[in-house]
Amino acid sequence: MTTKNIVTKLAAHVASAKMLPAIVIAALLAPTVSVAQTPPPPPPPPLSPALKAKLEKNAARVHEIIARADRVESVNAIRNLQGIFGYYVDKAMWDDVVDLFADDGTIELGLNGVYAGKANIRKYLYSLTGGKPGLRPGELNNHFQLSPVVTLSEDGKTAKGRWRALIQAGIYGKGSGGDWGEGIYENEYVQQNGVWKISKLHFYTKFYAPYEGGWTRASKDSALRYGKSNVRPTRPTSVKYEPYPARFTPPFHYENPVTTSYKFGGPELPKSAAGKPAPTVNTVAELEAQVRALELRLDRLKSMDDVERFNAQYGYYVDKSMQDAISALFTENAILEILGRGVFIGKDRVYEYMRRLGAPQNGSLFNHMQLQPVVHISPDGQSAKIRARLVVMFGAVDRQAQWGEGIYENTLVKEDGVWKYNHLHGYQTFYTNYEDGWAKVSSPMFAPFPQYPPDAPQSVAYDPYPALFTPPFHYRNPVTGR
Amino acid sequence: MKPGYRPIAAALALSLVTQAVPADPVVTDSRIINDDRRVAILEAKLASLRQQVALLEDAKAIERLQQAYGYYMSEGMGDEAAALFADNPAASIELAQQGVYVGKKRIREFLTHSSFALKEGEIREAPIFQGVLHVSPDGRSARGRWRTVIMGGIAGQDGTWTEGPFENEYIKENGVWKLQKVHWYMTVKGSYDKGWHKERFPAPGPLADLPPDQPPTEKYEAWPTFYLPPYHYAHPVTGKPVAWD
Repeated sequence: MTTKNIVTKLAAHVASAKMLPAIVIAALLAPTVSVAQTPPPPPPPPLSPALKAKLEKNAARVHEIIARADRVESVNAIRNLQGIFGYYVDKAMWDDVVDLFADDGTIELGLNGVYAGKANIRKYLYSLTGGKPGLRPGELNNHFQLSPVVTLSEDGKTAKGRWRALIQAGIYGKGSGGDWGEGIYENEYVQQNGVWKISKLHFYTKFYAPYEGGWTRASKDSALRYGKSNVRPTRPTSVKYEPYPARFTPPFHYENPVTTSYKFGGPELPKSAAGKPAPTVNTVAELEAQVRALELRLDRLKSMDDVERFNAQYGYYVDKSMQDAISALFTENAILEILGRGVFIGKDRVYEYMRRLGAPQNGSLFNHMQLQPVVHISPDGQSAKIRARLVVMFGAVDRQAQWGEGIYENTLVKEDGVWKYNHLHGYQTFYTNYEDGWAKVSSPMFAPFPQYPPDAPQSVAYDPYPALFTPPFHYRNPVTGR
Repeated sequence: MKPGYRPIAAALALSLVTQAVPADPVVTDSRIINDDRRVAILEAKLASLRQQVALLEDAKAIERLQQAYGYYMSEGMGDEAAALFADNPAASIELAQQGVYVGKKRIREFLTHSSFALKEGEIREAPIFQGVLHVSPDGRSARGRWRTVIMGGIAGQDGTWTEGPFENEYIKENGVWKLQKVHWYMTVKGSYDKGWHKERFPAPGPLADLPPDQPPTEKYEAWPTFYLPPYHYAHPVTGKPVAWD
């Protein structure tokens, strides 16, 4: 690729990303200006009773679809909320974590008792990292948030969720390479002024085991280390149990969904909207406006699923080094930046990049698992951002195995109705040889390919673990907006 | 063009215009697009939106179902997991190279077999994630690819790491989403102590004391052999199938 080509592509990329706001502003201004200049329209002729009845009937349909969309959106918001919680916990951003709780919220980690109210939760969480927020030098606190079973209440104001956490923790240079932790959340959520918050977070520790030996060889007390604090809890442990190797199934907040004929939604007005008035529709134009707004809203909701699925598909293609399929996910002028390899601009460059990873073959394992998506769709529904976690299981038979972990912050755009990556950025947290563990040895930043220099150097300067670095978030705190 | 054809051409053009009009909200000719016509257009749109929201609801219900399956299997609750399957006779389960069990009764026999019960000191934590879910446009069936990583072992012995994808199918029976087909492919299983590169285990075969109804639908070997479990979906951008030759 020539320098001119790169400059053109970069310019096109910047234009597509930066011009958008200008277009939106122009579109917003245009009608305002014209309205100010034209005289008010004459009042419309009165509607016939038949038409009036039709409008009412359709207003009821709008009402039903809005109420059903509200419930879908609530589930999406709770999935994002729990994912965002996990990414803050990773970095011991306790103030941001506390803000995700309702004022009378509670937290209970393992067998350490219940901390109630924001002040107590804050004091407790601070105590987990030496009395103040933030990771200590060399500390890792990865908390993968996985496998949601979200159950929304009938009135739509509260919800419960079962999740699983997989934890990678440790302090660099101490212990046996780190700790693997795992367990189950049974959480509760509340919607206040349209914002979902955590009202109760309860983590049942299954194990918290030294990297060396793992969960089957950990001592009986090993799991009790998780969440241990010298801050007095508000209330004692709510459910007594013994972690693994004892047998304990954390209680389920839900019944078997098939034997109890669980349904989500359906062609009727949800109970959460019963008794609430349908939107007033006095004219056909008003109904048209309602329908248009609803079309955009459902399109954006669908995009939440589409973007999450798209990112998952990327991961499955990378697993198997499917370079053609991977590069076809990108726009012509897309930007790719992974680890310390530098910045690559353009789909053809993405293809060449992916080719460097080699063809799949017997004896090599290249699992690129995509976890914990946090997705946001732009107001116009035409672009999207996703934060996701990467976990790598690498293998070269008989020779080497590795664990890797990192964060993606990706931007997608819709081109002719099809989502594509416009910018994929993978941040390296750590890569470690299986024999070592992350808290013993963490590889330095991956350097550019010697035979395939990037179009631009790394865009964000940072060092991987054990250095402390928080990949920038594409979103603000969902509760405080900070 | 002969003059005589002009009125026909004009009528053709007009009919094209009137056909294009329904999709265009900016309409000025109130004789063609009167209020009744506009409402009729909106009714068609609302019917479509109603279908769209139903598909979004379906996706949420299916994810919940799939995750419920994962939690039951992790806890050795084979009976509850079997209850998640559809009642129609074609429902099936196929794990690794163990063969296919068809129908709910056989699925239950398989999932309540002693090999799925958690033994003293055994662990089998199996988070499910990375869903690629496609609900059919009619909202009656769906397919989903998912991934699981299994942390297994018995206390005091060597543990295991296992990984592989599901390619599952779902069906709506009497308005309730159920598992129609669970098919899990084992990609890799390795020793915890030594690592998957040093000590690996093959995908388990059929149970000797509970033979399957059908042999494995695909013969493959786990890592270090390369195998690509087929995708149920075409490429999201090109729309073409994706596979290695």
